[in-house]
Amino acid sequence: MKRFILHYGRQFGTLIGLFVLCLIFWILTPHFLTLANLLNIAQQTSINAIIAVGMTFVIISAGIDLSVGSILAFSGVVLAGALHAGAPLPLALITGMITGGLCGLVNGLLISLGRLPPFIATLGMMSVARGAALMFSNGRPVSGFSEPFRFIANGELFHIPFPVILMLAIYLIAHFVLQRTKLGRYTYAIGGNEEAAFLSGINVKLYKTLVYVLCGLLSAVAAVILTARLNSAQPIAGIMYELDAIAAAVIGGTSLIGGVGSVATTLVGAFIMGVLRNGLNILGVSSFIQQTVIGSVIIFAVLIDMALKKKGK
Amino acid sequence: MKKILKISAIAAAVAVAGACQRGEKSGAAGPTVALVMKTLNNPFFMDMQQGAEGAARRLGIHLISQAAEREVDVEKQMQIIENLIQRQVGVICVSPSGSREIIPAILKANRAGIPVIAVDTRVDSAALQQAGGEIAAFVGSDNVQGGRIAGEFIADKLNGRGKIAVLEGIPGHETGDARLRGFHSAIRQNPGIEIAASQTANWERDQGYNVFQNILQSHPGIEAVFACNDMMALGAVEAIAAIGRTGEILVVGFDAVTDAQQAIRRGAMHGTIAQNPAEMGRIAVERASDLLQGKTIAKNIPVKIELISR
Repeated sequence: MKRFILHYGRQFGTLIGLFVLCLIFWILTPHFLTLANLLNIAQQTSINAIIAVGMTFVIISAGIDLSVGSILAFSGVVLAGALHAGAPLPLALITGMITGGLCGLVNGLLISLGRLPPFIATLGMMSVARGAALMFSNGRPVSGFSEPFRFIANGELFHIPFPVILMLAIYLIAHFVLQRTKLGRYTYAIGGNEEAAFLSGINVKLYKTLVYVLCGLLSAVAAVILTARLNSAQPIAGIMYELDAIAAAVIGGTSLIGGVGSVATTLVGAFIMGVLRNGLNILGVSSFIQQTVIGSVIIFAVLIDMALKKKGK
Repeated sequence: MKKILKISAIAAAVAVAGACQRGEKSGAAGPTVALVMKTLNNPFFMDMQQGAEGAARRLGIHLISQAAEREVDVEKQMQIIENLIQRQVGVICVSPSGSREIIPAILKANRAGIPVIAVDTRVDSAALQQAGGEIAAFVGSDNVQGGRIAGEFIADKLNGRGKIAVLEGIPGHETGDARLRGFHSAIRQNPGIEIAASQTANWERDQGYNVFQNILQSHPGIEAVFACNDMMALGAVEAIAAIGRTGEILVVGFDAVTDAQQAIRRGAMHGTIAQNPAEMGRIAVERASDLLQGKTIAKNIPVKIELISR
């Protein structure tokens, strides 16, 4: 019962943090709280938020994935290459997804079968996928796509940008998967106590691998949006995106020790970062100060998280 | 309790940032111009910002300077522009991190009726036209002219004859290609000069070293080398030092970075082409001010470029 209250109390706390942040910006500038700007923020947040879903799964399983940015770049140039080679849109999208999924699969196998620490396996993949992206594209951006593809980033349904709809759909599904399906519950179990999970008959290797495949797939989804948004796939795209995704999950209260977290709070975490960047831009705050502010927010969020955890025990 | 702690922490952080901007609240009197640079981790853009700030003070313009954390992160740059459109700034000056990738952001500014001035790096004009976008002006160095000056300098020093080598930038980069075009046009005027080798060293110092070492192996008679940036030139300087021939081979670079200027002073390098980022910032803000007053401005505004030698 106490756990329950703490769990939802935290969720609520992060959300209140987001509202307070919005309130501050609303007081400071009239340009912040407009419908156009809120949709703008949602659109800008979508890429990080989608990567952060996969990252949340990985972190709940007590792992980490440093390769998401490189996988994003690799699947982006493969997708773009397929489009330029004249592949129909669905086929090109699937090719991009498979690329991301395969990179995730390799991560998962190295960690589950190869028993490599996730940090090392994905650190290696970070470099391998980046190199693959550069090789595939010859180091050059692949740009210029047709209108149907660009709709993915620029289109609107009922005045809501398509990436935002995609993001919300992914979060609904991910929330369901994490709370209601075997994959979700086993992810918590493995992250909470891997040995106990194994002894209770969970196929730990399989589910651990699946979590990384999911993370790779979602990086590829983010690549689709990014490529459509810039009308270009860059082999150097996504550098350090892993840290933004980790930050969103951590601000949302996902514990790096594993076993604790939810995608709903990760979404709030991603929005806190998006709102901060947007508001500070609008205020015209110096870029140097912006980095310090965002970093401070991450540190405070984790400090609170640790304090809460101590209380929970 | 913890909740309150967390909220107050975030509030404090933002309030600090807000406090640093006192008196700059949006809606303040005077027109607003935005300068969006690639990054501020590069002295080039620090100079650009200073030049822009000086002009803004003089003209009574409220200048907002923003930059992405990393030079290659064109998506962050796009976010900054989107946010500044929401802020309803008067003019956006941008140094694009990607000549094509920035186009969707320019289109958004166009739709919002905000003029865009490109600074330092050109926007891909064919792609921009195809997308139906428009920029008000380009303010930046004429890299073709810079390459030509370098070529003329080398031809002059060699008295119009000899074998030379070229270290190119990453193929497909507009900046490097333009410098190369200018350089070639100057060398063509001097039939006695032969470009014996021309290879890329990807803008990097260590590759400049390796590539030039290899070139020297196959063409020992090389008398001069032109590198499309100073980093590669400095690599070549090291390769020349490694075989004990410092000062014997003419080395000309581009950008006038501090290391290159020092190398010129001690005679290891012979020339470099200096751009003027502070001028770019100044001119960009002045032309933005003209636009805000409804004046028409030139589409292409070259910024002074000069040879630095001993």
